[in-house]
Amino acid sequence: METTEFDATIGGEVHLPNSVNSLQFATSRSVEIAAMTESILNPSKTKLIFQCLPVHMRRRVMSHNCKRLPRRLREGHLEQLKKSGLPPKQKRPPRKYRRRPGNLLEEYNRRQMQNIWLETHIWHAKRFHMTKRWGHRIAYAPCDKAFRACYRASSAHCLIQDISYYTSIQITGPTDIIKSLFSSITSPCCGLGICAKAYINGIREGSIHLYKANSFPLGYIGKIQFIWIQSEDTNKTLFLFVHPSQAKQVSTILKEILNGDNNTDIYEHCEKRRKLTNNYLEKIQIKIIPGRFNRFRLTGPNSHAILARSLKCVENIEKLKSSKWTSIVDVNKLHLTEKFEYWKMISNAHAPSQLPPSIVIGLIVKDPRLSRPSHRTKAKSDSHEIINTECLLTTPKTVSYSPLWDTNIQEIITKEKMNNSDYIKHVTKNQLVPGEVFEDDPALQCIPVVLIQRPGSQVSNFKKIGYGSGWDVIIPSGYGIQFWQTFIMFGARSGGLRETESLAFEMGECYLPPDSDAGQEEERRIYLELEDKYFKRPPSKRVNFIKLGINSPFICHWKLLLKDWCNVENRNFDNFFVLRDRELLVKFQDCISRKQELPQIECAEECLVAVYIRIANKGFLKKHALICLPENGDSTNNMLVEPRHDDQNEKLRKEKRLEHKTNMKRLRRKRIKLKKKATTAILKPQKRKLEPSEYVKSMRDLWLPVDVKSVRRTCSRQIMGYLTQAAFSFLEARSCGIGYVTYNALNTLLKCGYNEILVRNTTSRKYRLATLQVIQ
Amino acid sequence: MAEENNSQKREEFKKKHKRIPNKNYAVKKRLPLRPVDGENVIFITKKTNFKAQLEKCCDLLTKGEKEIILHGLGAAIQRCCNLALQLEILFSGTCQLEVNTGTVDLVDDLEPLIDDLDFGTQVRHTSSVHIRVFRSAMLGANQ
Repeated sequence: METTEFDATIGGEVHLPNSVNSLQFATSRSVEIAAMTESILNPSKTKLIFQCLPVHMRRRVMSHNCKRLPRRLREGHLEQLKKSGLPPKQKRPPRKYRRRPGNLLEEYNRRQMQNIWLETHIWHAKRFHMTKRWGHRIAYAPCDKAFRACYRASSAHCLIQDISYYTSIQITGPTDIIKSLFSSITSPCCGLGICAKAYINGIREGSIHLYKANSFPLGYIGKIQFIWIQSEDTNKTLFLFVHPSQAKQVSTILKEILNGDNNTDIYEHCEKRRKLTNNYLEKIQIKIIPGRFNRFRLTGPNSHAILARSLKCVENIEKLKSSKWTSIVDVNKLHLTEKFEYWKMISNAHAPSQLPPSIVIGLIVKDPRLSRPSHRTKAKSDSHEIINTECLLTTPKTVSYSPLWDTNIQEIITKEKMNNSDYIKHVTKNQLVPGEVFEDDPALQCIPVVLIQRPGSQVSNFKKIGYGSGWDVIIPSGYGIQFWQTFIMFGARSGGLRETESLAFEMGECYLPPDSDAGQEEERRIYLELEDKYFKRPPSKRVNFIKLGINSPFICHWKLLLKDWCNVENRNFDNFFVLRDRELLVKFQDCISRKQELPQIECAEECLVAVYIRIANKGFLKKHALICLPENGDSTNNMLVEPRHDDQNEKLRKEKRLEHKTNMKRLRRKRIKLKKKATTAILKPQKRKLEPSEYVKSMRDLWLPVDVKSVRRTCSRQIMGYLTQAAFSFLEARSCGIGYVTYNALNTLLKCGYNEILVRNTTSRKYRLATLQVIQ
Repeated sequence: MAEENNSQKREEFKKKHKRIPNKNYAVKKRLPLRPVDGENVIFITKKTNFKAQLEKCCDLLTKGEKEIILHGLGAAIQRCCNLALQLEILFSGTCQLEVNTGTVDLVDDLEPLIDDLDFGTQVRHTSSVHIRVFRSAMLGANQ
């Protein structure tokens, strides 16, 4: 019946059924089917998302670049990556992509969020080391080694700096009220007031020392420049130009006075004050407008020639009509011809210091791109005509007026500006002869600019006459880079913040004095920087300041110094001031040259005197050097050396280091043991903390003790003061410094009959003799 | 008698032209106007090292400059003359001097020290000397 199909000798008999029961068949394989459907519905979990994609949707390096995945899968993909521990690292986009204009702008805007950029930022960023300072990104020093070149430019050629970071504050109101507003924050002893006759007609720029309200001589804020705007109204406008380190302080103080927040005053004056504050609020408007103007500082004798070449004055009204902003200006007030004539007359001058000091000239000039030379040339005043003395003596009053101060006009000018690419298109399209530029092009608007002369040194017995003289150019916003490039093409050398510092040093000016908040902040910054640098060195390469008898090499403890020189015991010094009374300073200088005792002054205990120090023979001065009181016979002894101090911390340091080493070894052994014991639980190495460890801190304390209690008698000679700025002065051809000494110390020096002092650098034991001059 | 008269006159002159330090103004100096500048023009000052300026002049002359012009103003006139004479000795016989004198107007600024005054100016006059040093024979010049 049933046929045998297989060889019975091998497998035996197998009977195959004639029919299959499907149900039975399925049930016997149900386990397999279940597994299959399961695996179809929930694919295996070991696979990543991008691995599950169908073939046609797969792309190269999908796992690295999530943008190659469909968008709906990206989130899950990133989650998976995070779980697997691989941080999703995006590749930096290629340079070509980054340089696309749109992307570049986006990036620039992002970077400007934290620190404000000046208009010439990109120009500078390509050529300068940039630093963050006072909320701005400021060019510090040029990348090429140009320190001496910049000095030379400032003394013989032209140095240009962008100081647009100065904040301008606009004050509008009647003169007498503005005067009373400033009466509490300035002092007549320091110089001319804000409403002095010399300044109020708007021909000259003035400068004034500001103090906190009613706290003179304490609470110094800073020196600010101001310009009155010419107008016939009773309401006058005043522009203050404030350094950004002081801008916030000045604006808050002005606002406080406006709102009458001074509760410290005596009650009797309360009513009067209230009236006054009401007056203030009604009649005075204060606007703080950072970044509305560009301000370029040109220093050096050649700066005049550069301006004369690059600023082409508009002669008459006809040529001005194409500019849109002239529609809202009274054209007769512009006095174009007078300005043109005056500018032509004085453009023969050899140097800006031949012109009236701090004069303000408002010019209306043609677009600076039109007068730009095709390659960099050096502008020189080569005219053989000698300038008439008459025009140096008198300046017409109409010259100072400028429409630039008007906000509306300025906005229109910025709006109507033709940008560089349009300008190039325009020029290439319209020029008939290649290379020739049509200077009176009506398509380009005329621009009002304001020039302010800086007289530089005017006293021949202090500094070379005319050093540091130059022009400040104020330009409406938007036109910064255009003017800048023209000045550069005429041979100006660009400088940065370092040049500002070195110029102040060469001029013998106090740059950010220590009694102001800005100065203290600067001191703190320098301290942190130097300390950091010091501790980055290996211990064997560090200067041991304890052995040299210097307890604070990177910061000057003014308060301690004053306390030590104070005759009254246990006085608290919260505040101190630098003497700025002009008459007293002149008297002091007289006393020093005659070796007389100083006149008595008020709050002498808290008083510092700024001094300029020139080294007498040999030696090199550095920042933070000590100014010491000489003793008998020191002036002839040029081998005077500070005896070696012994360092008691040295032993402690060694012990501590040894202890630390053993401790570390112990810890290491422990770690290794742990590793061997439990291979699974390996502790991940923790991220390095920014904060130094306890051990490092205590070691630093042993190198540079922080709690300094006394400074006056720490060395063999008594310390009178410190130098805050010191270097080799190219102008003096010797090492010079700017420092501060206490009034009492100066008095003691003169009482002993000396007018020379000893100076010792922080890194040396040698005392050097130096002369002393009061900075006025 | 004549001497007495002279001294009297001098005193009178002093009385008339005595410089009274004015409490209202501070005198600030400006840079004097310059004559034509050039490679071979040297301004003699009181501050610059005498030796250095002498060497500079020597250098210019030996390097083939036909003439150099020295300018001296006020107190620097003496130095200027000294320097020219030194040059004459150094280049014995091969260089000659031509001296001109003149007056230069100097402008001073009067900076007010009190609020009620405006800026002022005054003109001073100073004597000046302009010395042209030129080679009469080019002996020893390394050209």
